[in-house]
Amino acid sequence: MTRRRPSAGLGTPVLLFPPALVGVVFLLLPSLGLLLRAPWSSLGRIYEHTAVADALRISIVTAFEATALSLIFGVPLAWVMARVTRPGMGIVRAIVTLPLVLPPVVGGVALFLALGVHGFVGRYLYSWFGLSLPFTQHGVILAQTFVAMPFLVVTVEGAFRTADRGLEEAAATLGAARLRIFTRVTLPLVVPSLVAGSVLCWARALGEFGATVLFGGNQPGSTQTMPTAVISAFQDQPENAVALSLPLMLVAVVILAALRDNWLRPIASS
Amino acid sequence: MTLVFAAAVARDCFTLDVSIRAAPGEVLAVLGPNGAGKSTLLRATAGLLGIDSGHVELDGVTLDDPASGVFVVAERRRLGVVFQDHRLFPHLRVVDNVAFGLRSGGMPRAQARAKAARWLARLGIDDLARRRPGRLSGGQAQRVALARALACEPAALLLDEPLAALDVQTRAEVQGELREHLGGFAGPTLLVTHDPIEALLLATRIVVLEQGRVAQQGTPAEITSRPATPYVARLVGMNLYAGRAQAGVVALDGGGAMVVPDAGDGNVLVALRPSALTVYAEQPHASSARNIWAATITAFAPLGDRIRLTASGDQDVFVDLTASAVAELGLAPGQRVWLSAKATDLVAYPAPVAG
Repeated sequence: MTRRRPSAGLGTPVLLFPPALVGVVFLLLPSLGLLLRAPWSSLGRIYEHTAVADALRISIVTAFEATALSLIFGVPLAWVMARVTRPGMGIVRAIVTLPLVLPPVVGGVALFLALGVHGFVGRYLYSWFGLSLPFTQHGVILAQTFVAMPFLVVTVEGAFRTADRGLEEAAATLGAARLRIFTRVTLPLVVPSLVAGSVLCWARALGEFGATVLFGGNQPGSTQTMPTAVISAFQDQPENAVALSLPLMLVAVVILAALRDNWLRPIASS
Repeated sequence: MTLVFAAAVARDCFTLDVSIRAAPGEVLAVLGPNGAGKSTLLRATAGLLGIDSGHVELDGVTLDDPASGVFVVAERRRLGVVFQDHRLFPHLRVVDNVAFGLRSGGMPRAQARAKAARWLARLGIDDLARRRPGRLSGGQAQRVALARALACEPAALLLDEPLAALDVQTRAEVQGELREHLGGFAGPTLLVTHDPIEALLLATRIVVLEQGRVAQQGTPAEITSRPATPYVARLVGMNLYAGRAQAGVVALDGGGAMVVPDAGDGNVLVALRPSALTVYAEQPHASSARNIWAATITAFAPLGDRIRLTASGDQDVFVDLTASAVAELGLAPGQRVWLSAKATDLVAYPAPVAG
């Protein structure tokens, strides 16, 4: 038996190919099923359906709002995690990582117990400000932020950690105060990670289901997002569930393409 | 506008403890091997590092004084720093890099840009204004870094190995320009370097730093003719011997003696130019030279149009010869030769007191 001349390295053991093939086919099959069985001809009619259109709109809007919240609070948090060297930072890191490993449904229950009308913080929000978060769009946004913000924080923290301190020193010798150094030197340096982190955060918020359905509810027209609408539709109008899944799938493909070169590799290496 | 650094800074493996002073218009080079504390000195002067004791002062204003609790932060020190790696902001165009300090000082954008453009013109790089730093050559980046430091009209300039990051050809180009710009700067300039050529070409005065202490200071001419330590002697390419002088004869510490008529009495250093030595393949019988000794050749190395020969005897010695002299004498490593030096070529001076 002759072998093809290897172009690089020693080549792969032949026995690894069959399981690898099974693996990749398994990952591809569901997406293929979605595309093959999509009700292409009646899609237009389904998207005109108000509940579906509303779910689309609410999903996109709340995901953007959750990303905005994550940027406002997550970027400073990432900076503190990257640069502050006080004891106790390990605990902060654990707190930030928790939503990444916590099942989102548990996160929803926990949010309820903390910020619900009878929650240990929520009760004061309600009695002092009349603020009730559960089963409102604000609740949806908070649930998405809880689950998605760590993606942004972790990505941006790595960038802050590796950003060139020498440039910050140079800025200081040029008379720039700390805040100016942060806004004019450090932040611009981490823009690629800021973009990558925001995209990941937005995508995670868009797809969020467990915490959202528990804390935000599933009310068509107000708190029903696409993932929660998919579940509802799947039970009585499976066609609609497929139609609702397609935009989410499209978003996933677009994000994959966008993150392919510029963004995904820096994250992987940082 | 005198810059005074009289302070001690403890680092992991050494303590920097020096007292230096740079006068207005003076270019003071701090010359020393890696790890001598040059960077520490520069960073502590710039305010990027606090001192442990002593004081740092500019134009009569205390910048750092732990005893009285004064510490002026880097952004308020009015020092222009040119870093070895230039540290240009990669996301800003050249003109905005130069305008950065002016903007930090509160100058409106348009005005800052106009002023930055004038500085670029002054350094002959106005055509680079719209480039990003990533698209600059080493020499161009060096000029931009200098323009950026000068644009803020600092009270003093700090330069960290300004030529080290440049290739040989660019160095020659930038050297002359830099000398000119430093000459036109009214305040004191502190130049930190490990390269004696850089120090000799750019500085009006040199401080030699070794293991955190000042080993020698003086004008470039003084340093080159009377090196105070073996390190300085090696830097400036001189043979240097320590010994004890009495009645015109110096008993060398390593053994042997040399006749140096004007040596005075006491502990002295004797400096000898490598080109002032004569090599004999056989023992000379009649010579006017007062100092003749035997040595064994250990190495040859090319040095410009000469060959530098290393020989060991009572004292190790460098000798510079022409290639033809090496060929005519048939010299080879391991060969036993005789060396001679005229007493008038030996320069003796009192050894510096240690500490």
